[in-house]
Amino acid sequence: MGLRIRLSKQTLAVLDALLCRAGQWQHGYSLSQSTGIPSGTLYPILMRLEKLHWLETRWEEAKTPGRPPRHLYRLSGTAREWAREEIRAAQEGHFWKPAGNEV
Amino acid sequence: MSVSSPTSSTVARLARLLLDCALRHWPEETRPWGLALAAEIDEATSAFETVRWSLGGMMFFARAVLSGAWTWLKLPAGGSLPGGATGPSILPKRSRMFTAGTLVVAVLLLFLPAGREAMRMVRASWQGFQQSNSDVRAQKELAARAEKKKDASTLAFVALGTSDPKRAAALTERAVALDPELIWVYAAKCHGPNHDPPREQWLARLQLADPGNAVPYLLAADALDPLRIRPPYQHGILKDAELEVVESDSKWMGLMERAYGAPRYDGYFQKHYQLTRTVWNRERNLSPVVVLSGLRSHAIPNLLSLRFFAHVRIHKAQKARAAGDLSRAERLLGEVDALGTRMSDGSEVKIEKLIGMAISRSADKELADFYSNTGNAEDARRAALRVEQIDERARSMRPGHDPATRAQAQGFQWEGMLVQGFGTLGVIAGFAALVGILLLELWPWRIRNAKTIWRRALCCLTDYAPATLLVASAAFLMSFLPFQHAFAEYRSFELRAG
Repeated sequence: MGLRIRLSKQTLAVLDALLCRAGQWQHGYSLSQSTGIPSGTLYPILMRLEKLHWLETRWEEAKTPGRPPRHLYRLSGTAREWAREEIRAAQEGHFWKPAGNEV
Repeated sequence: MSVSSPTSSTVARLARLLLDCALRHWPEETRPWGLALAAEIDEATSAFETVRWSLGGMMFFARAVLSGAWTWLKLPAGGSLPGGATGPSILPKRSRMFTAGTLVVAVLLLFLPAGREAMRMVRASWQGFQQSNSDVRAQKELAARAEKKKDASTLAFVALGTSDPKRAAALTERAVALDPELIWVYAAKCHGPNHDPPREQWLARLQLADPGNAVPYLLAADALDPLRIRPPYQHGILKDAELEVVESDSKWMGLMERAYGAPRYDGYFQKHYQLTRTVWNRERNLSPVVVLSGLRSHAIPNLLSLRFFAHVRIHKAQKARAAGDLSRAERLLGEVDALGTRMSDGSEVKIEKLIGMAISRSADKELADFYSNTGNAEDARRAALRVEQIDERARSMRPGHDPATRAQAQGFQWEGMLVQGFGTLGVIAGFAALVGILLLELWPWRIRNAKTIWRRALCCLTDYAPATLLVASAAFLMSFLPFQHAFAEYRSFELRAG
């Protein structure tokens, strides 16, 4: 998988949110809403994932005139498998639990 | 690109405005991510959410700026971040961080107490130890602080060091009013071409306070007319007519007579020295120019007047001897000899010592001749011996007479040259580093179009000048250590009583 990064709980939460709708493009705001991670933490995580080629991104033209284009994200094909493994390992090691299961 | 949205509360509009502002200054390499974050703000469903999203964006902006700065520091001077303007094609080898670190350490070294003292001293020597505007300001601040604390000794110190005659007079008056023991300050201020002579009432007060001292009388005689002794010395031989003119000036003659009859000769140099030492101990950050300006201009009586009056006395003695009044002749010569001895023994100033010895020598030579012609062989031999002793003492006072002192002086001179050399190297290296860095950072496109040799020279300057500055600063400090010890010794030196 090339370069590895230290996976924080927030990164695992983002990966989990992206995996929930694997293959579908998601907006930053909806990711923030589903993970509860504020924008100041979410975007540096997305930026790092993209730099490591785990994240695919594209710009979407705004549907409402006058609004700026929006950025969309999804996990790349190879990253999905790897992300599942990392989440499983984190859950087995009691390092992280998906939202709703956290103690 | 700007973020626009129809809505909502003032707070939410302000939050959008803040993010808009950050976007304008967002570092180029992460700007698309800033735009991505800002584009989502319109999805916020409440003012609170908008503000929260905007604050998160500000945090992301701050991280991006810091990360950009860190990356920028890791590049060499003139290097630009990805997406930035293209810099010169040839760049220095060292990073900005290394260059900045080296410069900061060099500057810190120079701002250590020893470094500051070294810089003050070298700067003063480059200015010929003349008072600069900052020295005058420092004196004024010192006087203001002393006035507030009613600190008479500091006021006297500033009075003796300042080059403004009116200010000096006012400070002198104030210091003596606060502490009458400082009355000697009246006589210690140089009354050279730029200074008013000591006021008549000051010298009168000093004569009353210190009646056994020859110096106040001599200064009072000098204050009458400093040019009085010039005509007789123009041709070197004292003529009777000129002597009569001088003798007719009863006021001057009276003061000189009292000076010659006074039992002590004290030019107050020791007191001045002690005062300087005390104030310098309290005010260690004073420039050496300020510290030493008073001592350098310490007043001494007109030495030509002293010698001239000695000649007048000897001439009178010769006339008395010719007239057969031997006891008067002997007494006059003895008085001249006694004053010379008091001067050479009592003064701490070399020139005063030498003049005192010259006066004694003239009198002793005349006495030797007087005694041998009056058949008093034993006294004639003693007077001749005193002349020889004076000659020997004068020889020993010549610069470089003592090999140990000469070697010490040469060593100090060599150390002084080292300090000056490293100081000069530091200034050149600092200037070169500044030129190299500024040219590469401010005008990279010009450097890009310059000849290769110039570009290489500039990179070389930026690479090696800061390191040279660091080495020069360290060497400058090390070479200044002997002088720092000398100053510390000067400040702590215990003066002998007197």
